[in-house]
Amino acid sequence: MSSNMIMLKSSDGASFEIEEAAARKSKIIANMIEVECVDEDKAIPLQNVTGNILALVIEYCNKHIVDDDDDVATEEASEEEEEAKKKKVDDWEAEFMNSMSLETMFELLLAANYLNIKSLIDLVCQTIANNIKDKTPEEVRKIFSIENDFTPEEEEEIRKENAWAFG
Amino acid sequence: MMNREKVLDSIPIDLITEIHSRLPAKSVARFRCVSKLWCSMLRRPYFIDLFLTRSWARPRILFILQRGDEWSFFSSPQPQNPYDNSFVVADFHMKFFQHPGSASLAVTSGLVYFPSLQISKKIEDEAPVVCNPRTGQYMILPKLLRDKWSYSFLGYDPIDNQHKVLFMASPYSTDDHKILTLGTRNMCWRKLECSLTHDIWSREICINGVLYYLASPFDEKAETSPYVIVCFDVRSEKFKFIDIERFYIWSMLINYKGKLGGISWENVGNILELRIWILEDVNKHEWSKYVYTLGEDAVLNRLDHFIVGVTPNGEIVFSMRKTSKPFYVYYFNPEMNTLRKVKIQALDGDTSVYAFVNFVEDLNVNDSKQLKSSLANRGLNIIRRRPQPQQRRHTSSRDLSNSASSVKNKQPTTLSQNKYDLLANLE
Repeated sequence: MSSNMIMLKSSDGASFEIEEAAARKSKIIANMIEVECVDEDKAIPLQNVTGNILALVIEYCNKHIVDDDDDVATEEASEEEEEAKKKKVDDWEAEFMNSMSLETMFELLLAANYLNIKSLIDLVCQTIANNIKDKTPEEVRKIFSIENDFTPEEEEEIRKENAWAFG
Repeated sequence: MMNREKVLDSIPIDLITEIHSRLPAKSVARFRCVSKLWCSMLRRPYFIDLFLTRSWARPRILFILQRGDEWSFFSSPQPQNPYDNSFVVADFHMKFFQHPGSASLAVTSGLVYFPSLQISKKIEDEAPVVCNPRTGQYMILPKLLRDKWSYSFLGYDPIDNQHKVLFMASPYSTDDHKILTLGTRNMCWRKLECSLTHDIWSREICINGVLYYLASPFDEKAETSPYVIVCFDVRSEKFKFIDIERFYIWSMLINYKGKLGGISWENVGNILELRIWILEDVNKHEWSKYVYTLGEDAVLNRLDHFIVGVTPNGEIVFSMRKTSKPFYVYYFNPEMNTLRKVKIQALDGDTSVYAFVNFVEDLNVNDSKQLKSSLANRGLNIIRRRPQPQQRRHTSSRDLSNSASSVKNKQPTTLSQNKYDLLANLE
């Protein structure tokens, strides 16, 4: 069975062709397909996602349809194969995220949230967490553009309460 | 490309919470200083619960290394279904210097309990101490006169979120049994009645608010079985006893997917035989027994390895008794009959190892006001800096996939140290 292709259009007008099975990783698009509001000839407009980010989302979805299909045949796959496959996906995800800046990660997170792709949200959140976990509060403020609204006394107090975390 | 401020402004709060919930506890504590909004987000009860749920999905192994009077605390990820020959890096938490005489300890839901620890320069000045290895905070409990045949255990009641220390007096003494609730205003030992005088034969395990240990009734006239499992409900403070028909030679009690179990193992020629008993029905006292044999060239032996415990998905964890280069932890999966070894990096030297599985970061415990004293030098010389500079960034790609897995069994557990092998008592 050849899979259907559908078109996605980014906010900046770029069009992408994607297999329906891959697009279904997005709950939003899957829903649209279910209720048949997808016109075969027309692209689905995604107003909140720019082309460069949509390209990443599609790369992720394409990579992950394969393993979902394989899940059905799990029983037959040997344990070594399973393990190798899992490791391959893990390695791919690490490589995929590794190539991106924090800015891109935030945009990708927003897109994953908008398109409702749970596993991508998890992946990006975990990667951002890994990226910031060893930072100081000052560095985190910079990354998240947060203003320090504590008075020096208040900050001193909170630092004292959580002193163990600054060792 | 959107500008960064605009992107950040449009990230909903619940996504920020998703990121927060994937941080280590130490980062959470540090990031409370970022802003008022972050501070309140990181203190919300909802977040604290979410963090605990995530924590259960990424349990850690706590390693306590002892060389002479130096005690060092580390933890490393405890991979679920690990790859063979994968590796993880152990994080250093703290160390202190303490006379090695008080080697008995137990870990319950994030806290380490020392029944007797020297608390000043004077050797005889000993008291029970509870400490949180993550924060370095500790609490000295009121002193208790104890003889060497008495035992005390740390239990955790998940309903009221309360830790209690149970002191069981020796049947050879005239002492009373006592109990103490951590965090009460006037922390004091209360007298406790137990209808069955008994000798304690094993370390404890705490599963879902019940402390279990193996004992033998002391009253010779009574018509009881020679051995019982004592079940102490931490919340109601009531005892129950499960007769066991004959003496199972257990190395230790285990929490097997939320059920009480016992485990023993021995090398028979060049194979390893592992026996597991599981209490399927507490009321009917129904046990099931499983025997597994491992490999023809069993790498594990009782001399060099010990059983640490069981992971939430039922893998049995073995550790080397001494740190070495390389230092390995082994995961045996009984259902798949696979034995995986995982290298633990950053644990060097020829040091005795205590290890505890399912060590979970709990913000309730870290934020606890009960454990206020920190870095005080009342003879407890706590050091929270790793002694020598070492590479210890955790870069395993496993981290990324962990988040998706969830753990059904959320019962905090106590896991006793294998050093108190029952077999050692019998031999």
